[in-house]
Order: sequence, then structure tokens, then C-alpha cells
Amino acid sequence: MVPLIQSLVKKHLERLAAEDVNLDDFAPKVIEKAKALQERFSPFITINEKLASENMPRHVMKLPFSVKDNICTRGIRTTAGSKILEPYVPPFDATCIHQIKNAGGFVVGKTMMDEFGFGTFATNCAYGAPKNPIDPTRVCGGSSGGAACVAAAAEFPHIAIAQSTGGSITAPAAFTGTVGITPTYGRVSRWGLIDYANSMDRIGAIGKCVYDAALGLSIISGYDPMDSTSLNAPKTDYTALLGSEIKHLRVGVPVEYFGADVDESIKRNALDMIKGLESFGVTWEEVSLPSTKYAISAYYLIAMSEASTNLAKFCGLRYGMEGPLDGNYEQYFAQLRGKYFGEEAKRRIILGTYARMSGYRDAYYLKALKVRAKIIGEFRKAFGRVGVIATPSMPIIAPRFDEVKKLTPVENYAMDRMTVPSNLAGLPTISVPSGTSSGMPTGIQFIGNYEQEGTLVAVAGACEQV
Amino acid sequence: MAGVMIGIEVHCQLNTESKLFCSNSNDMRNKKPNESVCPICLGYPGSKPVINKHAIELGMRIGLALDCKIADSMFFSRKTYFYPDMSKSYQITQYEVPLATEGYLTVGDTKIRIRRVHIEEDPAKLMHVGGDITNAEYVLIDYNRSGVALAEIVTEPDFTTPKQVHQFLDNLLSILEHLGVYDSSKEATLRCDANISLDGGERVEVKNITGFENVEKALNFEIIRQNGMKRMEVKVERETRHFDSDSNTTKSLRKKEYEEDYGYIFDPDLPVIKISKEWVSSIKKNMPELPDQRVKRFVKQYALDEYTASVLIYADKNLADFYEECCRNYNKPQTVANWMMNYLLKSLNWRSERIKNSKVRVGTFVELLTLIENGTITERYAKELIKEYVDTGISPKELMKKSSSGKIDLDAVVKKVLEENKKAVDEYRSGKQEALKFLLGRVLVATNKQADPKLINEALLKQLGASIAQ
Ligand SMILES: [Zn+2]
Repeated sequence: MVPLIQSLVKKHLERLAAEDVNLDDFAPKVIEKAKALQERFSPFITINEKLASENMPRHVMKLPFSVKDNICTRGIRTTAGSKILEPYVPPFDATCIHQIKNAGGFVVGKTMMDEFGFGTFATNCAYGAPKNPIDPTRVCGGSSGGAACVAAAAEFPHIAIAQSTGGSITAPAAFTGTVGITPTYGRVSRWGLIDYANSMDRIGAIGKCVYDAALGLSIISGYDPMDSTSLNAPKTDYTALLGSEIKHLRVGVPVEYFGADVDESIKRNALDMIKGLESFGVTWEEVSLPSTKYAISAYYLIAMSEASTNLAKFCGLRYGMEGPLDGNYEQYFAQLRGKYFGEEAKRRIILGTYARMSGYRDAYYLKALKVRAKIIGEFRKAFGRVGVIATPSMPIIAPRFDEVKKLTPVENYAMDRMTVPSNLAGLPTISVPSGTSSGMPTGIQFIGNYEQEGTLVAVAGACEQV
Repeated sequence: MAGVMIGIEVHCQLNTESKLFCSNSNDMRNKKPNESVCPICLGYPGSKPVINKHAIELGMRIGLALDCKIADSMFFSRKTYFYPDMSKSYQITQYEVPLATEGYLTVGDTKIRIRRVHIEEDPAKLMHVGGDITNAEYVLIDYNRSGVALAEIVTEPDFTTPKQVHQFLDNLLSILEHLGVYDSSKEATLRCDANISLDGGERVEVKNITGFENVEKALNFEIIRQNGMKRMEVKVERETRHFDSDSNTTKSLRKKEYEEDYGYIFDPDLPVIKISKEWVSSIKKNMPELPDQRVKRFVKQYALDEYTASVLIYADKNLADFYEECCRNYNKPQTVANWMMNYLLKSLNWRSERIKNSKVRVGTFVELLTLIENGTITERYAKELIKEYVDTGISPKELMKKSSSGKIDLDAVVKKVLEENKKAVDEYRSGKQEALKFLLGRVLVATNKQADPKLINEALLKQLGASIAQ
């Protein structure tokens, strides 16, 4: 079988193996190309221009990576999309950055994201919004919008390191026609990831094709004692699973994900793709995940509760923005946080604090945890019958910037309904292009059982050949 | 004092190598401010806590020593509050299910119930410059303490007098030291919050009192203050107060309506830790000897009375260790106890020093006792010498050499006295025994009454005999 999509990364690795790449000017040239991308679509918050300088050790810089800006990079500014961290240069690398460097990778730049990951469209960023390379009047999706933008538009070999809490890899991958892989919770170390909601935060990868995303995940996964929630599982080369047999795979199609609230063409593309997989010997059946309708509420209550504690540390001491030392401590941090947090961050701090206050904690935070347990139970039951579950990646195609502006917060949150349940459960997912609608890409999302990223890679690889 | 109800919370810095969630050292000796810190205890974005299992084991020891039930799993919560001592603006602590519950400790005849023992991280240390917590000009922060492992021990409100609280704390301290969970010589601290109510009135909490004397003082002040309010028919309000050790009074920090809501959530960075029966029983098996058991053993092994044994053991665990080490090197337990209780302790207390941080060593102390036993020095001289010994740590033999009343100098003093008192010498030689007494008195005066009369007598007779022979 010949894949329809040629991987620039794979070709580059072959050239590297044949010593056919001039490493003396490879990295600086990539930086120049990144700058050109920035001109057109503004996917970066920071471009790692130091790489273009004379005295960097270029022979170790073989494969370009872009890194979402909530992942700490030693010596490279890391803002998490927030004004409050504008001057912050971390003193340490995230574990996944270590792994990238050890694998011969280098950081091209830090990509645009919604502030602390708070958004579905990558429009809640203090530093601008990335434009969709397919139609620049449209958003890239979020919160890993910059990551997907670079993955879609780069004309150089590149892997985007992205991160998801409630769907922040799947959404931008679907909107930009790229492949986004979100691994099992704990598969990739969170050490060095600036927290949004720690019980759901996952680092993953976005690439132009399944190979690129799978290679990215292979590089950054692995057990890490610095993250207490890290999964103690051996490292796997997921690219080796591309093209492996999926003959007896049963795909579950959950009715709750194919309702009237999803664009007709997106549903049709997904179902066509599932039928297309029949030629690989795959069968499918309907499954039911009845608690799906509570997932959005549960997700936002838990995510905001956790986020409101995570954001408490940003108070103008030790790092980040500082303010004039006026008044007492409370006055100081209140004015500083008021000035430098964006609107959505403030909204989530207030809602999250409310949900965990005594008197409301039982009704909101603790109840949401119960719903979460129920959703996990339903997934487990479904995986007793099927190998993977297939859903549309997003209920809509990438909206225009002006359309996003009109959404109320509740309408906005509801956009995450395809992605939130698997994020609550910590299940691995992959989003691959399923076709187009009105000239824009649509995506299909496969949800796998715990630690079954290999199956996801195999089935997504098959989709590329349908 | 009818109607007084007091409960306390004790925060004990645990004797672990490293902090609760990072690898920075816990040992605060000779540390510059903000030297023992890392991204985790400074709360840097992207850092994550990793539990120090040893702290859990030390917490289990405390629970077991206080007859508590140990939970079958443990997890941590985030207690959110904005205060500059908390690097993440939340404290990682235990909320719903503490490590240990429902224990007790007996003080005198009273059983004080222990509500809970849990593990949490210590906040940073604040230095209030130009005032106290209520009126400082500004505040300096030392994050060395940030993230140090703490055990919080909470009692039920079972105390009826401040004195009882003081006794409880003395007993608890000795238990913690015997368990090896607390080591004051590493500058670890024990801090206490106390809550007190009178006649079923509102509860007043006095926070962060350092020193057991101060706990008693703060509570005594509160009883007087609250009784005074009652006499003037002013309602006691529920509030948090701060103890000012300069004035021995308490000051209001905040009223009840300002009490914070900590908005506890489960800490999602730290997974649940199973506490198996096997784990608990292995801790139980390796429990060190507790103070009560040790008192009994001292009575039996060293034939001490219970009072003496209790003082040695409850005053300071290291004192009891020192005692036993001395007994191994000098087989007269009664003499050792006597000299420790009556003289060594006094000198240490006078310097407000604990034995472990003092210059006193087993070898030199035993040397002193041996000098007394040999009659090389008098008891009276030894009592003088011990002060200098505790001050300087110089061995008693060395001190004697330096001293004018040492044995080596005695012959010279006697010689001089005999030369200066020719008349008395002649009288002695003519058979007047009183003359010898007179000469002895002169020598004693010349040595500032430091020399042993017996030794002077010997020296006198020797030199007088020698002069006869001339
Ligand atoms: Zn540290």
C-alpha cells in the first residue's frame, strides 16, 4: 500500500540518514521560513531566533519542532498565552523538551494558544490569533491553534508539540486538516507543562500526516519520575504500527455524537470514512454513551476548579509581570491580576472558585467528579465490545473570526462536546481529516481504550488511504 | 477554672532528608535565606510535586505512638489562600481523610483525645520588618522553609487549664524526639495554634505561637481577657488572634466574617497512595522505644527513682541518650544521674542550651566524674568547674591545669605560706597542733578556698616533715 500523503518528516529523516542535509544552514533556514509563516498566519508567540546566530551547535539540530507556549523551554520565553507571564523565561526544560533535544530535535518557536488553554478557537490569546492557512478569515481552532497552523502551513519538515485539556489537539487538527494525537493520560510527562487542569492535561503531537504525529508521540512519551501521574509503560515506536493489520477491528459509533447538533456534512464525512474502512476488514456497530450530555458541565466544573487553584500562583512575585509596590499584599496582587489576566481567565477563576467554595462544593465540584466516574464507566463498558470509538472531531467546520466573536460563553463551551468526554476519561484519541465541507477540512476522531495509541495510529493510517 | 475548653494544633517539622515534594534539603543549619530552594518549592509554573514517602512513614509513627487509627489510603488536597508565605497560593495538605485519626495521649490523669494527624507542606518563613504581623512596614520571605514536611497534630478541646497544655506539649515533644520524627538540633521547629472558649462561648483561635511557655502565657492571657469581657457583659466573638511575645498579650487578626473559605479540591498532581496493612505493621515493628517505656526501663536498669528517670527522659531526649552513654562509660548510674540533674542541667539551662547543641561531651563529662571519684578534685571544686566546662567544653583536666587551685600549684602555695609564716611553723614544730590548723587556713585562703583541705593537709605535713629533716 502506498500512502496518499508523503511525509516531509520521513523524507527528511531519510536524507539525514544519507547525510544529504547541510546542517550548517538547516536550522537558520527553518527559522527564516518560520518568520515567513509568522508574516502570513501569525502562529508563533516567540520564534527561537537565537538558533540563527553564529555560535549555536548546529550539528545536533536535525529535526524542527514547534512547541505550544505552555510548555517550559529553558532560555526561551514561555508565556502560556498570557500577559501575566510576558517576561517569563523558564530556568528548566519540560521533560518532553529534553526528549526532543535527545532525539536531535530543536525548537523553532513557541506557538500561539488561548491564554492558559482557555478556549476552543485560539482567539483568547494575549498576543494575537493564528489564521487558518486554508482560509485566513477563519480560526485555526484551539487551544493549540498555533501548533496546528504551523503543522498545516509549514513547507519544511516539522512536528508540532501540542497539548489538550478538553480537546485542544483534536479541535485545531480538525479545523486545519492536520492529524492530532492525544495520548493516554500520563503517557507523556507533564513536568514542565504550565497547568490548566492537571487531572486532564495531556501533551501530544500534531503533524501534516499520521506518520509525523506518531513520530512526535514516540519521541515525547515515556515514564518520568518527575510527574507523579506518569504512566509506567515502556516507550513505543508508534510509526512502526503504521500499516499494521486492522482486519478484525470493531469500530463503535456512538449515537450521542451524531445528533442534530452536528453539521450534516461532517457526520456524512465521518460515516463515509467508517464505511471506507470496511475495505480493510473493519466492522462497525452502534454503541451508546448515555452520560455524554453531562460531560460539558462536568468538564467545565472540574477544569475551572483546578484552573482557579493553578492560576492562584500568578501574583507578581518571583516571576512574570510585576507591578508598582503600592498598598498591601492583597491590593498589590489584586491590581496586578486584574491588569494582566484576560477576560476568559478571569471568568474561569471566578467560576472555578465558586464551584469549590464550601456550600457549593458538594453540588458542583464533587458532583462533577461523580459524573466523570460515570462517563469513564460507560467508556469501559463500550470498550468491552469495540476496539475503537469513532466520532466527528468537531460539530462544525472552522468558523470565521467574526462568527466566533458572536458566540456566548455557553455556546462557546458547547463546541467541545465531541472532545470533552474522552478528555474527562483520559483516553487516547487521534483526529484525522475525513474530507471537506464548504472548502474547509472536516475531521474524524477515534477514541481508543487506555494505552491503545498503537491501534489509533493503525486505523488513522488506514484513513489516509481511504 | 470551670468551663474552660482548650484544643490545640501542633505543627511539627519532620526529620526527613529532603522536603515533602522536592529534593531540597530540610536541614536549616547554616543556610542563607532562599538557598535551599528549587522550582517545585518556589511554585514555578510547570513544576510538579513528587511525594517523599519517608514523610508518610514518619507521620504513621506519630499516629501509632498516639494510638490512632491509620487510614488505608492517603491523598492530598489543595487549600487555596492568598498569602505571601505560600509560593503556589495553595498549600498541599490533607483535608477529607487524614493519615491518622482517633488517638489519645494521657497527661497526668487526663486523657487528651487526638482528633487527627495529617501531613502537609510548610509555608515559607516571613520576616516582618519594622513591626509585627499587624503593622510591619514590609515583609521579607525566606523560601528555605517552603515545602518542608510537616505533621499537623490536632487534639479535641479536652484541656481545661493552660498548664495542662504545657505538660501535654512537653510529653508530645519527647515522644516526637524518641520517634526520631523531630530533631530540634537541625533547627526544626514545633509551632502551636490554640483555640479556647469559656463557658460554651465563641471559640477564639490564637495562631502561630512558638515556645511552650508562650502557649501557656497566651492561654492565660485569653482566660483573663475573656473573663474580663464577660464581667463587662461584652460578647466574646469568634476570631483569630496573634500572640505578641514582647507584651505577652494577644492581638486580633481577623473576625469570623473574614474567615477564609479555602475551596479545597483534590490535588490532581498527586495520585492516591495505598497504605497496606503490611506497610503499617512494618512501621509498627520498627517503632523506636517510647518515653513511657524508657522511664520504666531506666527505673529497672539503672535503679533510678521514677521522678529522676522522667526528668531525664521528658526534659530532652538527647539528655536521656547522653545519660545512657555516660553509664556505658562510667558504671555508677546514680552518680551520673545526680551530677546531671543537680549541676549539668542547671548550667545548660542557665545558658538556655540543649545538650545536643552544647559543648558537653560524654568523654569529658565522665572524666570529670572520675576526677571526683579519685579525689583529684573536691566536689566543691567540681561544682565550680562544671560551669566553666559547660561554657567552654574544655576537658576538666585541662581546666585544672589552667586553674590556680590545681594540684600542681598546691605545693608551691604551701611552700610560700610556710615561708611567710615562720612563727607558726616554729610553733608547730614545738608541738602546737593548732598551728597546723592555722597554716591550713592560710593555704585555703591563698587558693581562694578552691583546694581540698585533705590535700592541703597532706602537702603541709610533707613539707613540714621535709623542713624538719633539714
Ligand atoms: Zn525545592
